[in-house]
Order: sequence, then structure tokens, then C-alpha cells
Amino acid sequence: MNEPGIAARSRGEEHWTEISGHKLFLWRKPRTDGPDRGTLLFVHGSSMAATPGFDLQAPGTSYVSAMDWFAARGFDCWTSDHRGYGRSYKGPEILATVSDGADDLDAVSRYIMAKTGAARLFLHGTSSGGLRAALFAERHPERVARLSLDAYVWTGKGSPTLAERKKKLDQWRASTRRPISRDFLNSIHTRDGVYAVDPKIVPFYMDAVLALDDSVPNGTYIDMCANLPVNDPKRLTMPVVIMRGEFDGIAATDDLLDFFRLLPNADKEFAIMPGIAHGSFIQANHQRAFAILYSFLTRSEPVYKG
Amino acid sequence: MSDAMTAAKAKGREHWTEVKGQKIFLWQKRRTAGPERGTILFVHGSSMASTPTFDLQAPVGPPNSSVMDWFTARGFDTWCFDHRGYGRSYKGPEFLATIADGREDLSAVSDYILKTTNCGPVCAYGISSGAIRAATLAESHPERVKRLALDAYVYTGAGSPTLEQRRKKLDEWRSATRRKVDAAFLNSIFTRDHPGTGEDQWIPSFIEAVLALDDSIPNGTYIDMCANLPLNDPAKITAPTIIMRGEYDGIAGFDDLIEFFKKLPNPDKEFAVMPGISHASFQQKNHMRAYEILLSFFTRPEPVYKGH
Repeated sequence: MNEPGIAARSRGEEHWTEISGHKLFLWRKPRTDGPDRGTLLFVHGSSMAATPGFDLQAPGTSYVSAMDWFAARGFDCWTSDHRGYGRSYKGPEILATVSDGADDLDAVSRYIMAKTGAARLFLHGTSSGGLRAALFAERHPERVARLSLDAYVWTGKGSPTLAERKKKLDQWRASTRRPISRDFLNSIHTRDGVYAVDPKIVPFYMDAVLALDDSVPNGTYIDMCANLPVNDPKRLTMPVVIMRGEFDGIAATDDLLDFFRLLPNADKEFAIMPGIAHGSFIQANHQRAFAILYSFLTRSEPVYKG
Repeated sequence: MSDAMTAAKAKGREHWTEVKGQKIFLWQKRRTAGPERGTILFVHGSSMASTPTFDLQAPVGPPNSSVMDWFTARGFDTWCFDHRGYGRSYKGPEFLATIADGREDLSAVSDYILKTTNCGPVCAYGISSGAIRAATLAESHPERVKRLALDAYVYTGAGSPTLEQRRKKLDEWRSATRRKVDAAFLNSIFTRDHPGTGEDQWIPSFIEAVLALDDSIPNGTYIDMCANLPLNDPAKITAPTIIMRGEYDGIAGFDDLIEFFKKLPNPDKEFAVMPGISHASFQQKNHMRAYEILLSFFTRPEPVYKGH
């Protein structure tokens, strides 16, 4: 099952939990094949709910969603909509900051661990989902077996995307939500000066995002423009991989390498993904992202630990 | 076959080529199982010939003491060779075996493998000064290297505890072309950084295998690593490259390797720190981690989209 290919589609299950009386939607795709490798929780970013990025179904194409792909390789796959997104509570007062997201992950991880008996989870976060996943991992290291940070940004220094985004900081702060549209989603795919997404699946992706949300909360945008760093690498005591798209403008490579240097666990990897911009799982080269994540999550445990 | 398991032992075959009339020994182990994945060329370091490091047959201890056997069971044709000055290759007393000499060896060896097997560009793996030598192949013959793995590598030497110690004996290395090797010296490779990391059950077999081939080894790479770094220009290494860094390895400062990594021009690049490993990753208790990192890097799916 190491080869790229069409995995058997896993049958999805809805689950629900709540935080502060607000409902949280979880989506599970149970393992369909392979040895039992553990439980993997995918954490979404700023401008879309969970399933469009992690469980995109694109009939008539060869695309296999990340959740189906990993379910076919031994993982019990989960994702959740943060408050403010998708099928979770979307009251107009919810700003959905990174810290709110880490709170959501506290509730979500409790639910998954109680439901499945998993002692620890693998976490993969993309973009501000990386910030949320890392903050949760700082708060609850005992729940995180291995942590993957894709399209991550630490201090924001040298980030072209954030330099542009900061110009609208007053606008983000003026309300809790911003509208999203096909034009906006297309701007994510073009802002790095390349068109690295898989054009065959983009229409399915946009339909999936916009079917769930016509607006998204501003909390993570405000945090990424005004409050970085929101993570302390020294507190991430679990094994960590940094997955960096070649063209991704969300962070400068040096910013990520500075973060990488400070990670205290010697079980750490840094992978640059060729031909990839932001949002690796819907890019033409998504198989590379899947392969990097898979190999990191399946590393054998060290015999000698020092 | 991606899990740790005992690999079927591949049958080895010796080959010979030469540089300037001086013979070079090559050792081939062909694919025994798995989909055809290409060819790996393993490049040895300063203080031992090739087969003790890459095709160690240890009668006791964990399975998979031979990394060549492990990779042949996962779809690879594998090769290693003795640099001139080592093992079964030419060992004239005048021969220093510098990195530049190693580059000549690699040019001849890669030419031989490509012509003999018509395999196309190879995946090259080098360890310690073997990584410096392998990087010179990638610089001088980029068309022959498909992917490059540099394990226990050092770039400028800044911040290297091992090289700081080694430099104290630079005059001694320069006063002769060869130095003696013995069991105590070989054992020191496993203890100098962090005692306990070496696979104790394999080390006696490793030492025996090294000393069966050499009771002395040339000083060229020691001199180069003490006095002549950097010997590679990362900007000229155009192959996809991984840096494999043992947690406790004193051969290089961590920041030295990060600076090298930053300068690699191909965006298909990775940097992996290997927990619980010092120098000589393939003879460590955590050798499986090194095998897995190498396997995953050598089998990454090719990019569909290459940009601009």
C-alpha cells in the first residue's frame, strides 16, 4: 500500500460533541485496509471547513481524498469543523482564534479518545490548522503521538502572504466574519505566482467549500497578522515534521528552519515539497504530501532513546 | 515490505574496474523482491572498506545487519565499492585517498555501473566522508545521480566536536599516507559521541569484518576534513537531496548542516534528524530508522507539477 493509487473509499460517519454548549461536527473515516496504525486527526485552516480539504470527493477523476488514502493504509481518520465553520456552531459572535481552535481540539480529542480507546492521536494541521494543532499539542502533549505541520508559519517574518494580508488588518478586526467566494478561493490558488493545484479537482473543491460556508470567521487571520508567534517550539515535546511547499508564501523557509532548530525532540524532520504551493492536499503533487506524511507517521519507534 | 522484517539474503557478485590503471573492487547485490525501484550506490567513509558497513553479515543480534540485503528485498539493485586505499581495491603505500581521489573513484565506478547494467541515474548514499565523496559525484556528474542521501555529513566543519579533536593530530595525519586501525579505534567510533547507541551485538562482527580487509587505512579524508573543508558546493548539487543527521553525531554542528541545506537549489529536499543515533547509523541500535528514512526518500512519488 505504499504506492500511489486509488484506495477503497471508506464509509464516513458523522459524530458530534460540544464545547461551552456549542456543537462541534466530527467526520470519521475508519480504517479500510492495512495493519492498524493508529488514529489520525486532520486540522483545517482559516478559510474552509474540514471535509473539503481532507475528504474531497471528485467523481470521474482519479483523486483519492487524504482520509480515504490514509484509511486504506491502516489509519482511523478523523477531522472536525472548528466553531465558526461548516456544520459546527456558527454564531455571529464566534471569532475562531487560534486559541479557540486549540480549545476545540481539546474537546474533539477527548471525544475521539473516549469513542475509540486511542491513548494518543497523530495530528496533521495545515496552514492555521498547523497553528491550532501545535497550540493544542503544547497544551496537551500527552495526547499527541506525532505532529505534522503543513503550510505552517511561525513568526511570520519574511512571509509575502502575510505582508499582503496585514494591509487589511483593520478590515478583519472590524467584524467577526468575512464573505468567501469562488474568486477568493481562486486567489488562494494563484497568490503564490503559480497554479499548482490540480485543475480537475478545483471545481469539486470550490463546490464543497461553498456548500458549507458563504463566510468564515476572522480570528485566525487576525492572529496571523498581529499576534505571531502563537506557538512555542520548545514546548512541542513530541516528534514533529514540517511540510513546506516549494512555492508557499505563507512563511519564509528561514522562519520555519528557525522553528525546526528549536524543536526539542530529536525525532524531527523537515521536508520541502517540490511543485507545491499552499494547500498541499489538493495540489497536482498531493501524492508527495501524502507520502511524506505517511512515512513520518509510520517511522519505527527508536530502540535506543538515550 | 515497508515494515521492519528480515530480508532475504541476496547473493553478492564482485566486479572490478580501474582508475589510472589502479583496480577498484565493486560489490553488487541484486533485487530479490518488491517492485523494481532502481539502483543504489553506497559510498563508505574514512576508516573502513565498503562491505563491513553496507553488507555486514552478523550472526547474532537483530535481523537486517546488511542494509544492502534490506534494500534488495525492497526493489533495489544495490552496489558498494572500496575506494582506492581500502579493502580489495588498489592500496599502494603512496596513495592518500583524498576526497578528490574519491571523486575519481566515483566517476569510474558510476560509469562502470551505468554501462554494465544500463540502469540510468542512481540513488547515491554516502556516510561521513563517504557523503562528501558522494556529493562530489553529484556535483561533477549530476546526470548520473537521481537522488542523493548524505548521512553523518559535514559541510564547513564549524561547530564540530569530532573534527576539533581530530585537528589536534593533523600533523600526525600529514606525516604519513596511512594510519593503523585496530579494534580499540573502531570501537571509539561508537563511543566518542554518546556511549550506548551502537548495536552491541553487531559491533564485534563489524570490527572483525573491517580488520579482515585492512590493518591500516589512508589519511586523505582525515586531512581534508581537518584542513580543507568545505569540499562541496551545495549550489552545484542539483539532485534531490536528503540530510540524515544523527541526534548525537559530533561530526558536524547542527547549524552547519542547516546552512548547507538552505543552499541546496533543488526544492525536492529533506532534513531528517535520527533520534538516538550518533555516527555510523547503519550499525546503531536504531538502524531501522535510518533504513526507513532512506527508503522513503528514495521512493518519493515523482512530482506531476514542476512549476512555472
